[in-house]
Amino acid sequence: MTEETTTGQVTLEQPGRTAALVLDRACVAYGDVPALEELDGVVHPGEAVALIGPNGAGKSTLIKAILGLVPVVRGRIEVLGTTPARARREVAYVPQADTLDPDFPVSVEQVVMMGRYRKIGWLRRPSAGDRAEVAAALERVGLAGRARDRFGTLSGGQRQRVLLARAIAARPRLLLLDEPFNGVDAVSQHALLEAMAALKEQGTAVVISTHDLAIAHLACEEVCLLNRHQYGFGPTESVLTPERLRAAYGGQALELRGDRVIVTRT
Amino acid sequence: MNILFEPFQLPFMARALTQLVILGALAGTVGVLVLLRRLAFVTDTLTHTVFPGVVIGYILAGDDGIFWGALVAGAVTAALLTLFARRVSEDAALAMLLTTLFAVGVALVSRRSGYAADLTAFLFGRVLTVTEEQLVQTSVVTVLVVALLAVLRRPLMLRMFDPEGARAAGVRVGLLDLVLNAAIALVVVASVRAVGTVLVIALLIVPAAAARALSDRLAVIVPLACLIGAAGGWLGLAVSYEAAVSHGLRLASGGTVVLVLVAMYVLAFAAGILRRRLARSRVSRAVSGEVEPA
Repeated sequence: MTEETTTGQVTLEQPGRTAALVLDRACVAYGDVPALEELDGVVHPGEAVALIGPNGAGKSTLIKAILGLVPVVRGRIEVLGTTPARARREVAYVPQADTLDPDFPVSVEQVVMMGRYRKIGWLRRPSAGDRAEVAAALERVGLAGRARDRFGTLSGGQRQRVLLARAIAARPRLLLLDEPFNGVDAVSQHALLEAMAALKEQGTAVVISTHDLAIAHLACEEVCLLNRHQYGFGPTESVLTPERLRAAYGGQALELRGDRVIVTRT
Repeated sequence: MNILFEPFQLPFMARALTQLVILGALAGTVGVLVLLRRLAFVTDTLTHTVFPGVVIGYILAGDDGIFWGALVAGAVTAALLTLFARRVSEDAALAMLLTTLFAVGVALVSRRSGYAADLTAFLFGRVLTVTEEQLVQTSVVTVLVVALLAVLRRPLMLRMFDPEGARAAGVRVGLLDLVLNAAIALVVVASVRAVGTVLVIALLIVPAAAARALSDRLAVIVPLACLIGAAGGWLGLAVSYEAAVSHGLRLASGGTVVLVLVAMYVLAFAAGILRRRLARSRVSRAVSGEVEPA
């Protein structure tokens, strides 16, 4: 309860610094089955947080809850100072590229234009401004030359970059990425990290689910360590400690040379 | 060339042609969505569940009841399918629904005296007896469905390409799915008297698949599918007329239309392979000739 009033005051005093995401003893459930319990944490504009945890820890579920697609049964998730469902207009979601049908007849440019749909509406033709946004977003991820190509002809990493460009074109205040580095080559990984850094500089808050601890270190200053419960939320160095990782990963963590932990992907 | 125009100076042939051209365009448009959403089996289910509606409509109100009976059955199935799809992805449940309702239709028809003739008409249609009133019905349905899909094209595209992303963007995916299922049902309903419940599936799938083989751009695929559907109807009718008149060979017009469509698909498929091979050699030339832009 005290937490709630504190965040409320922050919102009142500094309207420009409304937290991008507030988790306040949030419990998320599918029907009667609890998926995540007692999550606490705050992400501010321009910050990035990595959701770390083993498979089935509830990383994707948390992203869905932030989008308002899975209900919060107890506690509270506040996005950009309002409810997840109401904030959706200013939130962009980047799915895993390999979940999309590579045969779908759509060009790179068209995919990125989807990010503008909400601003364009159902009937209006895309304006010169919309086209410029699309071009700029593709430029940002280093794929300006591939605009006319079919989406499916690109490599996995390039497709992931196109999906990030789509999110950039929507000009979100909060960006959610589901395992954006899975099966992504080094060139694309670098392009993704650079584009994300630029977004953060503009004040976009970023949430990345990943099981790659190295990436979490590179891309994010904060970590939310999850496995059904929260095992820590805060600066990367203080959360990704061997003790906490061992606790979160349970039997899936292997110990090496005393204080270093290797986490097996399952 | 004459066989393409001469037969259609007869009023009944002209009506049949008009009907098939309109249906070809309608089914072509909806068919592209069916293809991209991989809803062929769902569509097949719809065609079979509309069948008992057709029979009941016919029993209650004769020929005029067919459209309305089909419409009710189509609407109910579209709603059921949308609900079903949310629960489980269930081939078996669909197959059960399909055969059960089809059997209901067959059982109902079998109680009538002209059993075989009626059954044939419901399953394969009677395109040569199309009336002015049917043409009006088909046109209205076509305008409605195409306008609706045109208005919803952006959310539909997003939903087809990236359902999770669509949900995240606030698109009402369930509602859109209902709209598409209803559109498929309407195509089936509009086609029932002309081509029957069995052949309509070809009208939906084949032109769309042919168009997809020829292009990677949706803005080309949709009109191309319409064109192929309409051309298949025209050519099929002409061939079956010519076979009957000049060669004394009776070819059912519905079946001939489907066979012509399939032949067009085979050509499109071959052309598609050629097209892709050309594109690939162009790409490899470009790659070997210059440094790929970063």
